[in-house]
Amino acid sequence: MRSPNLRPRLRVLAVSAACAVAATTLAACGSDGPGGSSDRLEVWVYQDGSTTIQEDFVERFNETSDIQVNLTQIPGENYQDRMRTAMGSPNAPDIFFNWGGGSIADFVEEDMLIDLTDTLADDPEFGDAFIPSILDAGAIDGRHYGVPMRGVQPVILFYNQTLFDEAGVEPPASLDDLFSLVDTFVERDITPAVLAGADPWTELMWLEYLLDRQGGAEIFDRIRNGDSSAWGEPAVLAAAQNAVDLVEAGAFGNNFRSVSYTTDGASTFFAQGEAAMHLMGSWEFANQLSNQPEFAESDLAWATFPAIEGGTGDPAALVGNPTNYWSVNANVEGEKLDAAVEFLKLHASEDYASALIANGDIPTTANAESLLDEAPTPEYARFQYEMVRNAPSFTLSWDQALPADQSTPMIDNIEKLFSGQLSAEQFVEAMLNL
Amino acid sequence: MSTETDLRPELARDTPPAPPVRGRRPFRLPKANYPAGIGAFVWLVIVIVPLYILVASTLQSRQEYLDNGPLSLPDSISFDSYRQVLEGDFPRYLLNTLIVTASCTALVLTLAVTVSYSIVRTRSRLSQRAFQLFLLGLAIPSQAVIIPIYLIITELSLYDTLLAIILPTAAFSLPVSVLILVGTMRDISEELYESMALDGARSVRVLFQLVIPMSRAGISTAGVFSALSAWNGFLFPLILTQSRETRVLTLGLYDFVGEFRVDIPALLAAVVLSIVPIFTAYLFARRQLINGLMGVGGK
Amino acid sequence: MKRETIRSPRAGRPGIAWALPAVLFFFLFAAAPMGIVGYLSFTDWDGLSDPSWTGLDNWSRLWNDDGMRNAIWLSLLLTALSWLTQTPVVLLLGVWAAGRQRNRAVLSAIFFLPLLASSVALALLWRTIFDPNLGLAADIADWFDLDNADLLGSSTGAFAAILFVSGWQFAPFHMLIYQGGARQIPQSLYDAASIDGAGTVRQFFHVTLPQLRNTIVTSTVLMVVGALTYFDVVLILTRGGPGDATAIVPYLMYETGFRAFDLGYASAVAAALVIVATGTSLLLVRLTGFNRMRSTREGM
Repeated sequence: MRSPNLRPRLRVLAVSAACAVAATTLAACGSDGPGGSSDRLEVWVYQDGSTTIQEDFVERFNETSDIQVNLTQIPGENYQDRMRTAMGSPNAPDIFFNWGGGSIADFVEEDMLIDLTDTLADDPEFGDAFIPSILDAGAIDGRHYGVPMRGVQPVILFYNQTLFDEAGVEPPASLDDLFSLVDTFVERDITPAVLAGADPWTELMWLEYLLDRQGGAEIFDRIRNGDSSAWGEPAVLAAAQNAVDLVEAGAFGNNFRSVSYTTDGASTFFAQGEAAMHLMGSWEFANQLSNQPEFAESDLAWATFPAIEGGTGDPAALVGNPTNYWSVNANVEGEKLDAAVEFLKLHASEDYASALIANGDIPTTANAESLLDEAPTPEYARFQYEMVRNAPSFTLSWDQALPADQSTPMIDNIEKLFSGQLSAEQFVEAMLNL
Repeated sequence: MSTETDLRPELARDTPPAPPVRGRRPFRLPKANYPAGIGAFVWLVIVIVPLYILVASTLQSRQEYLDNGPLSLPDSISFDSYRQVLEGDFPRYLLNTLIVTASCTALVLTLAVTVSYSIVRTRSRLSQRAFQLFLLGLAIPSQAVIIPIYLIITELSLYDTLLAIILPTAAFSLPVSVLILVGTMRDISEELYESMALDGARSVRVLFQLVIPMSRAGISTAGVFSALSAWNGFLFPLILTQSRETRVLTLGLYDFVGEFRVDIPALLAAVVLSIVPIFTAYLFARRQLINGLMGVGGK
Repeated sequence: MKRETIRSPRAGRPGIAWALPAVLFFFLFAAAPMGIVGYLSFTDWDGLSDPSWTGLDNWSRLWNDDGMRNAIWLSLLLTALSWLTQTPVVLLLGVWAAGRQRNRAVLSAIFFLPLLASSVALALLWRTIFDPNLGLAADIADWFDLDNADLLGSSTGAFAAILFVSGWQFAPFHMLIYQGGARQIPQSLYDAASIDGAGTVRQFFHVTLPQLRNTIVTSTVLMVVGALTYFDVVLILTRGGPGDATAIVPYLMYETGFRAFDLGYASAVAAALVIVATGTSLLLVRLTGFNRMRSTREGM
């Protein structure tokens, strides 16, 4: 505004030009939205370390197919929320990544997904390719709405072999062992178990295992099937109390509530030798291998979650995500649906299984065992595979198993339990009142 | 038209922290104001340290940052983080933000200028009602209506398009812009309109030859205000868009957290790059930018 | 509008049609949604199926909801504490910046920087700084030998962090307002005070402060509305946590609506937010006569 001598006529020009630009951009972006075109399949995937496999196979698919797949990658902790928001709009994706169970239950109820049960049954090469229990884990009322597309993801107790050796201790076989390990490492000024409390689903993993060992998988099965009175079982209270006791014993150090997993805060801390254990999904191994290869190769070790004395749960039982699934939007029809099914079938192929293996994952296809030796760390691959094969039950992560309107307050309550805002009794009460 | 002479007081009046109004001497404290001076120094530290961390972190490698912590000076300056960000999707997000900002501003200015012109000049009670509508609109927080806007946008099939961001963002910039422009246009003297009328000018000509040139201070304030709200908007993009093609800078930054994870230098480099365009604008058009920001606060 | 009633030349008056596009546009994307929020607050809606009418269910739930009470309490607390902590700082700095000290321009320009960044960018920066293991928080805990650096992990710490970051972000804006206000104070008042023998401190309390009355009101209203609608930073920095320690009303609305997808109930929360926000600002406007000033921008 230094010169008040601006030429009015120029301004008029500028304003009209701006209007013209506005008009054209508005017109242009109206027709440019994804989902607007009908000859493409919009595929949404959660973006993480394994997404390169999806990119690769989408490219392969597009080479031979008339109908092209357009892959959208969505990173971050709120993939689930954003996918759900999109599903409520007419611009929903055609095929999308999900966790089965509660993560798609609402869509199934509204008939928004294609029932793939018959498609899987009609083509044995497709349907029989997957381990049945994994395929079933994503089913709703016995119908299949999802095709497995990632490796199995049990939650594993990772530990730092070097730190354990230095302290002269073994991985815990029982909860008592775990508590004495906590004391040992606290004395040595090492965080016994890193916990990324800023992402409350990591706290959930502890509670899932504690409940599973205390009372078995049946309790959460009841909750999942709509019987919320199961939150009142004594085993839930016992598990919540175990969690509180662990927090108070200093198992997670002093800082865990603001450590985040999605930004790798916890994994980095663990890899720097500051923490002795890390309870995390099996993907943690691949994650460490790519970010801190030295640590992954020399120090990183793994074990199953300890048993609890007096608990009725089977110590071989697992929690976690059996796998991730592709589901198909019910809007997809005709040629596009054929292409979508072709795309899904690609994920039953041996090529795809090999790609997963090479990435450090254990495929969910029946032929996985024969491929284990090709894994970057065959030892870890075999451990995982045996673990899954021998597990009497594989409980889907609670936040994925329950519908959104229950899992959100549940996660809030778990966060409060771990941060001391709720006692074990208050937690049980809060869950019963959901 | 002798616009030059009439414009000066006009400018000064509408630019809050502008050079002092003619006739008044700048406010001057008789003595050095020590308490405030010390306060200013403390505040300087509070402002500078985070900004130092912001810039210094981006010049290190990821490993250096993990080893040395946020306060360390980089051993050797590396622009790898910036390269990494620029080679990624950042340029696309920037382009989207530019499109959104330009369209929003153009839309807001077009609508606000015409409606303000009508509010000031139309002799009808309806135009006063319109003004009251916008005054009431000032009080609507955008968070409160995000659910119906989601509903409207999906009904219009605009979900996950840039228009889904542009339209509501523009709507929420309108009240402040109208307020600013009505204030400015009311100060155009009746004599000027009359002389236009003697020439037989119709309302369109009056608008382009008198009203717009005389309101350019207000127009630039309103323009900068709507540009800034569009540039920095987060809630509308968060709820109303998803895919990479429509991701704007703010949402892109939010997603970088999931993408870069513990690569803090890269994450912060993206933060720095997102500030650079506004900072450049600040260097060249400080006054207008400040006025626009005052408008943002007025929201 | 007074002037126009005097004489009116024939030509040059726009018809009411000029107002239509803007009014319609604003109505569709801002005014109508307010009505829709009201409607949705009486329904149960999950975003997928059609909303179903449930009468006053959401509202009676809202009335008895501990989470909502907590959110309102936190929002009001944030508003009050923001005002109490920011006002003295920005008042002092704004008045200082209005003076003619050396370095003033440079410092003011630096103070201004946080205002240039988006809330998202700032929240990410602060999130990095507050990281208890890798951020500045870890270093500070080391220096002072604190047993933890878990600022965002404790209820009060996280709330204080939100309070601080919001202050850090918006202080320059309010400084500008006070700077502008202080510059409008006629020098003669100070000269007169000097003659009466008033020192710097007395001048501040007897001249500056009373003269800035309107400016204080302006800044207060803007601060209150800003604090009641604070959202971006909460989402990125604390996600309302730990637990619900920072789940202020706008965040609760977001979480209920777009995480739990209980959009009917979230609409009730949103409607409550509008009532609280407009109620508070109307109250302030009434109490202070702000509406009369607004039209002339006096005091800004």
